[in-house]
Amino acid sequence: MLRAALNRLFGMLVVMALVVTVVFVIVRVTPGDPAAVMLGPDASAEDIEQLREKLGLNGTILEQFANYVAGVLRADFGQSIFLGQPVTQALMDRAEPTFFLTIFSLLIATVIALPVGILSAYWRGSMFDQAATALAMFAASVPSFWLGLLFIQFFAVHLGWFATSGYGGPGTTLFERLHYLVLPAFALGLVSSALITRFTRASMLDVLNDDYVRTARSKGMSEWRVVLKHALKNALIPILTVIGLTAALLISGAVVTETVFGLPGVGNLVVSAVLRRDYPVIQGALLVIAGLYVLVNFGIDMLYLLIDPRVRY
Amino acid sequence: MKRIVQVFASLTAVLWSATSLAIAEPATGGVIDVATIGEPPTLDPMASTADLVGIVTQHMFETLYTFDAEWGVTPLLAADMPQISADGLTYTIPLRAGVKFHDGNPMTSADVVASLERWMKVATRGKQAAETITGVEAVDDSTVKITLSKPFAPLLSLLSLNNAAAIIIPAANAAEEPLATFVGTGPYMLKERKPDQFIQLVRFDGYVSRDGEPDGYGGARKQYLDEIRFVPVPDPNTRVEGAVAGQFAYVDQLPVESFERVSGGKTEAILLKPFGWPVFVMNTKEGLNSDIRIRKAIQAALAPEDMLLAAFGSTDFFSVDGAMYPEGYAWHTEAGTEPYKPAGDTEAAAALLKEAGYDGSKPLRILTSRQYEFHYKMAQVAAEYLKAAGFQVQMDVVEWATLTKNRADPALWDIYITHSPFLPEPSLTGIMSDASPGWWVSDTKHAVLGAFNAEADPAKRVLLWADVQKAIYDEVPAYKVGNFNALAAQAPDLEGVAPAPWPYFWNAYFEKK
Repeated sequence: MLRAALNRLFGMLVVMALVVTVVFVIVRVTPGDPAAVMLGPDASAEDIEQLREKLGLNGTILEQFANYVAGVLRADFGQSIFLGQPVTQALMDRAEPTFFLTIFSLLIATVIALPVGILSAYWRGSMFDQAATALAMFAASVPSFWLGLLFIQFFAVHLGWFATSGYGGPGTTLFERLHYLVLPAFALGLVSSALITRFTRASMLDVLNDDYVRTARSKGMSEWRVVLKHALKNALIPILTVIGLTAALLISGAVVTETVFGLPGVGNLVVSAVLRRDYPVIQGALLVIAGLYVLVNFGIDMLYLLIDPRVRY
Repeated sequence: MKRIVQVFASLTAVLWSATSLAIAEPATGGVIDVATIGEPPTLDPMASTADLVGIVTQHMFETLYTFDAEWGVTPLLAADMPQISADGLTYTIPLRAGVKFHDGNPMTSADVVASLERWMKVATRGKQAAETITGVEAVDDSTVKITLSKPFAPLLSLLSLNNAAAIIIPAANAAEEPLATFVGTGPYMLKERKPDQFIQLVRFDGYVSRDGEPDGYGGARKQYLDEIRFVPVPDPNTRVEGAVAGQFAYVDQLPVESFERVSGGKTEAILLKPFGWPVFVMNTKEGLNSDIRIRKAIQAALAPEDMLLAAFGSTDFFSVDGAMYPEGYAWHTEAGTEPYKPAGDTEAAAALLKEAGYDGSKPLRILTSRQYEFHYKMAQVAAEYLKAAGFQVQMDVVEWATLTKNRADPALWDIYITHSPFLPEPSLTGIMSDASPGWWVSDTKHAVLGAFNAEADPAKRVLLWADVQKAIYDEVPAYKVGNFNALAAQAPDLEGVAPAPWPYFWNAYFEKK
């Protein structure tokens, strides 16, 4: 177990080094200029050049890369060009809505997907299975931002139950802020549930006809005990994987959903940083997101070891 | 009996005037949420020409002068209009007494001098003014003198604008670069900023307003509201839904096609008519458009009526107008606009192209973006008219940050598309600067613009502006497509907000119910 963990940790370091390099290169070769965005439409080329100099954007790419890597090694992602605060602080400020949005969406997705997937597999070919499959296909095909706009129109504009966008004004409590997450969490959760439903169904179908399930039934166990205790436990590995990857995707900030609902989360931060060419924020945020992906994958791998002792790395 | 009648009459008069006052003076209090198009890139209004920066920060910071309802320059922190020497080289500006900064300190001439020096060093418009300013000095505690190397009429407008603005800040903060202490003299002061969530401004109790009545950005500034919160809502569809649901007291910059939907919602649709003008800027420095004959062919080929219809959908939201300033502005003139043809003139354009020897081997590159969908729609229609005249057209559609970078390189484009509100001072328009992308430089330009900028008499300047407009049409450094309107939305019980290109809320109040 320890050796497997160390192997995985080494792999993580290699991946992160690659991420640092690739992100830096992509950001720098993308056209656009933070100085021009900062100074506005009427700024002269001279002004833009002066600001670039001040921001340290006129050095060679190698110099800039060396500075950036030195910063990353000190866990210093630099200072946001536009926000006037360190990138780490900007990310921490945005963590709350993204964190809760992830938890709620994942909860909604899992609560819907697990029972539906299990029942679909159990009643394979039934009306329920066909309806669940059709709905899952529909949910998987619907972009979450479109669903979000529909929710805004119906629940916020028509019924007036929720705000159309935002995350509360000054002085709002955490509970009040969470109210702003209901619609985006359902928009994301419903879409995410489709994938988990399909994986749960497929995974359960794989195990429901296995020998040990037959043996359990022949022992006279109740049907639900057979399904939930024996079959589900063995079907969990692929389900956990997809739940984990969905979580990683959501942690990275449901970019479009956060933008549509005006949530000041990590996804929104990345979008606005890209549009403004706030290089330090783009680099820092993508690095953290990649780090979270790698960590989630590491966690899933370790869970495999715990769930199934036969797994070896 | 007579005495009783007198007392009764006096009492009635007192009660009547008290009631009138109560009716006339709106109630104080209330908080408004204003939905904006995004998070401003900075809260230092000197550091950016972006409209959004000006919209937010004009509540916190003030300039020596500003614009009245007729777009004339009017004093704000200055006590009066400046005394200008006969040779136009010295501006002596008296300052208002009793003005305080948000930190409680009084504003003095030392603060003004330090602020203007920072403005000349940091701000795009300040640097423009610095080319003619030879000195800024404090005459005494309440008077400042600006000395110029040559007469420069746009100076007062430059001192009045709210972006790249000549704001007055405490001398102690003037050395900050970037500005980190947001202390101004405005009616509202910054309480809290959570980027991408809100900017919270609260009433500044030490504010001393000018006397009189509100007059555009000038005159008295009332502080009826307790708080103004600017909330970034970057997605236009979400802004529309926010307006329909009545979530915000004011929603800025809505797509005009949402007019009907917004009108049927809980806020009222507000049209700012006209708001600004879309413009095709020509690259006069390099490539195809360095040949004036090609530029004239483009001018003839374009059909603004169709372009505007495609961009804005209905004549309710645009007007086909070649004059650089629409009717209602002092600068309005039709001088030189004959080449502006609403339906285009393809034959004339083809003839001009032939005369220029254009063989179609080199594409005309139009640099545009979908950040503003109407730019892109206009470009699509323009491309078809240009092709009909014989041009080979290449559309370079990039996102806005790339456009702002690429337009600075003359090797990358022939036309780029942008838009502008009608600036109160014509010489502040981008093409008037030799260094602005497009790089329009000519003897005619320098002669007419030089005369316009040197003339201090407003009436004479209006006449001289006609010459500048004529030069624009003669040399085609840019093509003004027409006028377009802007759509915003406002809560039905919110009063005191005048439609303006940079909306302001210091005179806003909630109607009593």
